[in-house]
Amino acid sequence: MWLVDPLQPTPATGADFRYTADARSWLAPTLIGVALLIVSFVGWAVDAHQFYFSYLIGWIFCVSVAVGAQFFVIVQHLTKAHWSVVVRRIAEALVWAFPVLALLSIPIFFGMHDLFHWTHHELFDPGSPEYDPVLAGKEAYLNVPFFLVRVLFYFAVWTLIGYRLYTLSVRQDGDPDRSIPARQRSTSAWGLPLMAVTTAFASYDFLMSLDPHWFSTIFGVYFFADSFLSSFAFITLLAVLFQRSGMLRRTISAEHYHDLGKFMFGFTVFWAYIAFSQYMLIWYGNLPEETIWYRIRLENGWQVYSAVLLVGHFIIPFWVLISRSAKRILPLMAFMSVWILIMHWFDFWWIAMPVLRETNPAFHWLDFTSALGLFGIMLGLCLYRLSRHSLVPENDPRLQKSIAFVNV
Amino acid sequence: MLKELTRETKATMGIYEPRRDKVYGLLAEFSDPGALLHAAEGVREAGYKHFDTHSPFPVHGMDRAMGLGNSKVGYITLVGGITGLAVATWLQWWTGGVDYPLDISGKPFFAWEPSIPIMFELTILFAALAAVAGMFALNGLPRPYNPLFYSENFSRVTDDAFFLHVAASDGRFDMEKTEQLLRDLGALYVEVIEDLGTEQGPAGDVRGEAVEKAQA
Repeated sequence: MWLVDPLQPTPATGADFRYTADARSWLAPTLIGVALLIVSFVGWAVDAHQFYFSYLIGWIFCVSVAVGAQFFVIVQHLTKAHWSVVVRRIAEALVWAFPVLALLSIPIFFGMHDLFHWTHHELFDPGSPEYDPVLAGKEAYLNVPFFLVRVLFYFAVWTLIGYRLYTLSVRQDGDPDRSIPARQRSTSAWGLPLMAVTTAFASYDFLMSLDPHWFSTIFGVYFFADSFLSSFAFITLLAVLFQRSGMLRRTISAEHYHDLGKFMFGFTVFWAYIAFSQYMLIWYGNLPEETIWYRIRLENGWQVYSAVLLVGHFIIPFWVLISRSAKRILPLMAFMSVWILIMHWFDFWWIAMPVLRETNPAFHWLDFTSALGLFGIMLGLCLYRLSRHSLVPENDPRLQKSIAFVNV
Repeated sequence: MLKELTRETKATMGIYEPRRDKVYGLLAEFSDPGALLHAAEGVREAGYKHFDTHSPFPVHGMDRAMGLGNSKVGYITLVGGITGLAVATWLQWWTGGVDYPLDISGKPFFAWEPSIPIMFELTILFAALAAVAGMFALNGLPRPYNPLFYSENFSRVTDDAFFLHVAASDGRFDMEKTEQLLRDLGALYVEVIEDLGTEQGPAGDVRGEAVEKAQA
């Protein structure tokens, strides 16, 4: 159970901060998630190759949302933000997803031979007809033992930082220890550079190395842009759902959604900026080993998916979220949150799937069952943690200011 | 019609026309930001449109109390941004593709890829300049002359005093009734301001007159 929630349940004191929905609210997504995963494992028997790719995409999607939430909490502490205190607990509950996500990564290690071309030994053997001098040059980094050590390191770091941020915050609910905000800040201070490095390398390992000849130094930033954006979508979605169920009614106001919307808009643009920066430099440099990655995605029907990504991940959210009034309409914000999460998953699908289906782009039912299954489990367990504690950090010195927050 | 429109537009910028007898309006001082906020609400509810508040620092909620609504700067910014985008697209296409095509490592003379950074930058530049220019225009700035400067008390507005000014150009303006309203709303005192133009004699005399009138 430690993997799910390392803390004993703590009651909320404020009536508005109490999780009032019953156990079905978190049990349903978890069980649906488990059921979909079981269906996916059946799919493994049918098409293992497809299963591993679908599973990896769904899994890295969930990891990135949790990573984004961790960045969110860290940034709020480091900037001593007022406005976000009322929604911070949602992100804090999400960061404890890492232990379960680590557990759920196990199928990927069984599928490494299917997923990662660089795990094939003959590539590094000069005597073999399969010998690949380029990949042989990358052997010092791209080898299975080092890969496993790195993954272990990422999850150790993420879990450690997540543990401190989550448990310190929940402890503060019952114990108004004055030193807690300073300790949260110091964890965030050393956590932020570690998060930056581990996130970037995790994106190289799990996504970029699927096409081991290709490289892009901005890829880590691209991954970060996606994950930070999706964390705002996740927080907004949960906040709207809670308020619809009668929780946090007098705590979260249109002002907070307005700010979350500004961040969603800002990071939509940031994502496009980074995605375009990567594309333009490769276009300009015009080096075959780099352009091939885009060429694959602009041929054989992939160009349609690329266009959908551009329109769905940038142009539509840009124009929908640009106006002030749109950011204050709750149903619209909830819709855009779901939209952005779907587009975020689609972005990873667009990065990974051409490796498997270079000439026949299509969705496979396993894409949906594994992504929804993993996301359902992550969401359900996040709600479970939220149900056991107060929905806001009750003794945070900035809570009252956050509730009263108004955009100027 | 056009004159009326100009007057109303200038009034939204805080520039009001004096009455024929040079009366510019009534200036009332309030004790604190809360009283000023309350007074602004009262004046708005009484139906006045031409009034403005002055304080040493921004007062939270004043926009709503004065019924100002949303700022229009955003729309000006959007127009500026779209103009910048169009100018940049034209610039890239005309210079690279029409006026002076250069073959650089076989790249097309005009392509979207290298043009987008310029389009992006000019969008931002034009949008930012439009935002600043729009902010100045909507505030009626720069405004070196303001009849309120005739009031000696008003110089404290950058220090510790909170003022509400009801302009004489407002359709509801009435010397007695407006003054009574301001007093009812808790004004410390009410002062008549006259717009004597910049060329008029020494400010000291003028001020004396205004204060006498107010006391009368």
